[in-house]
Amino acid sequence: MEQAENSGRDRILARVRSALRKTAPKHAAPAPSGPIFAPITDSLDRFQKECALNLTECVITSDMGASAAAVGEVLASIPAGGIFVQDAPQLRRIVPLWQQGREIRWSSEGGPLESSQATVTLAESLVAQTGSVFVSSSCGGRGASVAAPVHIVVATLDQLVSDLEAAFARLRERGAQEKNSMLCLITGSSRTADIEKILVMGAHGPRRLVVVLSR
Amino acid sequence: MSTPAQEFLRNAATKSADLAHRRTIRTGIDHYEAAVARTGARFQDWEAARQRLHEVKWEAINHLDKYLVEFETRLKERGGHVYWAETAEDARRYIADLAARNNVRTVVKSKSMVTEEIDLTHTLEKDGVKVYETDLGEMIVQLRNEPPYHLMTPAMHLTRAEIADLFREKLGGVESDDPQHLVGIARRALRKAFFSAEMGISGANFLVADSGMMALTTNEGNGRLGTSLPRIHVAVAGIEKVIPRMEDLAVIWPALARSAVGQPIACYNTLIGGPRAPHETDGPEEFHLVLLDNGRSELLADPEQREVLHCIRCGACLNVCPVFRKIGGHSYGAVYGGPIGSVLMPHLGGLNKFQHLSFASSLCGACTDACPVKIDLHHHLLQNRRNAVQSADRPASERAAFGLWSWVLKGSGRFAFFGAAARALLRVAYSLGLARTPLDPLRPWTKAHAPPEIPAKSFRELWKEQRGAS
Repeated sequence: MEQAENSGRDRILARVRSALRKTAPKHAAPAPSGPIFAPITDSLDRFQKECALNLTECVITSDMGASAAAVGEVLASIPAGGIFVQDAPQLRRIVPLWQQGREIRWSSEGGPLESSQATVTLAESLVAQTGSVFVSSSCGGRGASVAAPVHIVVATLDQLVSDLEAAFARLRERGAQEKNSMLCLITGSSRTADIEKILVMGAHGPRRLVVVLSR
Repeated sequence: MSTPAQEFLRNAATKSADLAHRRTIRTGIDHYEAAVARTGARFQDWEAARQRLHEVKWEAINHLDKYLVEFETRLKERGGHVYWAETAEDARRYIADLAARNNVRTVVKSKSMVTEEIDLTHTLEKDGVKVYETDLGEMIVQLRNEPPYHLMTPAMHLTRAEIADLFREKLGGVESDDPQHLVGIARRALRKAFFSAEMGISGANFLVADSGMMALTTNEGNGRLGTSLPRIHVAVAGIEKVIPRMEDLAVIWPALARSAVGQPIACYNTLIGGPRAPHETDGPEEFHLVLLDNGRSELLADPEQREVLHCIRCGACLNVCPVFRKIGGHSYGAVYGGPIGSVLMPHLGGLNKFQHLSFASSLCGACTDACPVKIDLHHHLLQNRRNAVQSADRPASERAAFGLWSWVLKGSGRFAFFGAAARALLRVAYSLGLARTPLDPLRPWTKAHAPPEIPAKSFRELWKEQRGAS
């Protein structure tokens, strides 16, 4: 197999190199008129507004205790059944506050089950510009954020960055792209407009994305 | 046996006369345009965004060897396999062998145009593998045994009533044609497949050289499930998909979503680098990336049209194209339809087979204006026409007619004489009542239009008179 790989590889690269001996023109830049995106002054305000537009439920709390209560309220509103939780000390600590007798599968026990009713994870960062949550495979694995009908993200205000540039800078700073086999910028819950371009929520991923953000 | 060009003309004529089809497309495009208008304000300077995208792709394509090797090296460090496929056949064989070696019975596939290009699904099905298209639009056209109608919106040509009928016949449990209800049926139908498939197949929107990760954009979450749950993940990508840096996505992701569907950003913008790492909870045990050439390196060798490889397959040029809006996606008879397809197909599928598509354009330039990576599409259509005339099979009668035409245009006296003669001939013909009959000299035009009024005087006569008067 390796042999076959290499022969195609070398021929393609040889053709590419020979093709690039001639240079192609670049389009001239238009007169610059400022940044591509308008600068963001109030990140929390922008984040909340974007969440409202992309139908992410955003709950702001005063501290982790209040966040635990907020998670409990969301869980109280969904059908009975097991939930999948990222095995992180922060979440282990607040579990007793919202478990409500539900069976918990921790991410340290393996991937999410098909029958999970909800997933609770942390995030790498939150992005104000688009009202998004950046998760990685460290946040409960690769399937965690899409396998259940509800995804609850527990975050803190210091995780909020203004825009995508800043979000990538933060990932880079922590080497997140090296440590994880998956990173995902999640904006709102799963949706489709494939039937007459009419928006329908909850295609294959979660119907609800809830961000519980403590100050 | 009709040629692809004849078939194209026949299908285009049929489709553009199909008013129900035109209404369906109009509805879809109206929704798209309204969404793009809403999202437009997110960009303080859209032209600067287009320029940034152009420069990112220019850098990548014009140093393609360097970035491909960098991407490959980093992905291998992450435990991924990279297979370089020179042709569609190479790619199909590699994936089919992989499936056979691993006793794969079920594949979940997320939307990918390049897998259409290599006709992957049929190959796997011939080997007895069950392939589920998991993007809703793709699933619908798969159930109809049709190719996707549009790069971005595969089932754009169908109404909810038609989709409800299809689901009633193939899946059951249909109680209404409410889109929410229909999406629920699709979700339930595919749920088992996601959790039981041995292999997930996806395309890749971008290959990020500096981190060895591929970027995949979806709204439904199907791409996330299909690349997380099965034991093997195979991604197929053209060699042109590479971009230099992860940070480039900070502008690319919002621009792609705006141009593709008028969203500020898609729901799931995912970066995947290799199989599950040893410390991770879940994820595929094997990751294979198939890098496909299939004619791309030849297009790369043409500096005039090299930038066609900058395309990010957003489909914006299809949505704005007055030809696409009338003839629809299937008439093109090509994997890639619309303006980008007309430009690209002669390079991927042969000039002789696909040259006619470049003539099916009004050259209005709407595609060029809409392109988020600033591909000069309508000029590339013109260049394809030139190339076709120089080297493809064109009828001898065409050469003779254009020879005569240019001879007439090159002499002022000849131009005046033949103009007057043509007007006189037309006047006689129309006075005999031949307008709009098979004997009408303007038959190709008057078949679908009212006959023109024949002017009493030529432009030159009028010019002489009126300039003389002033």
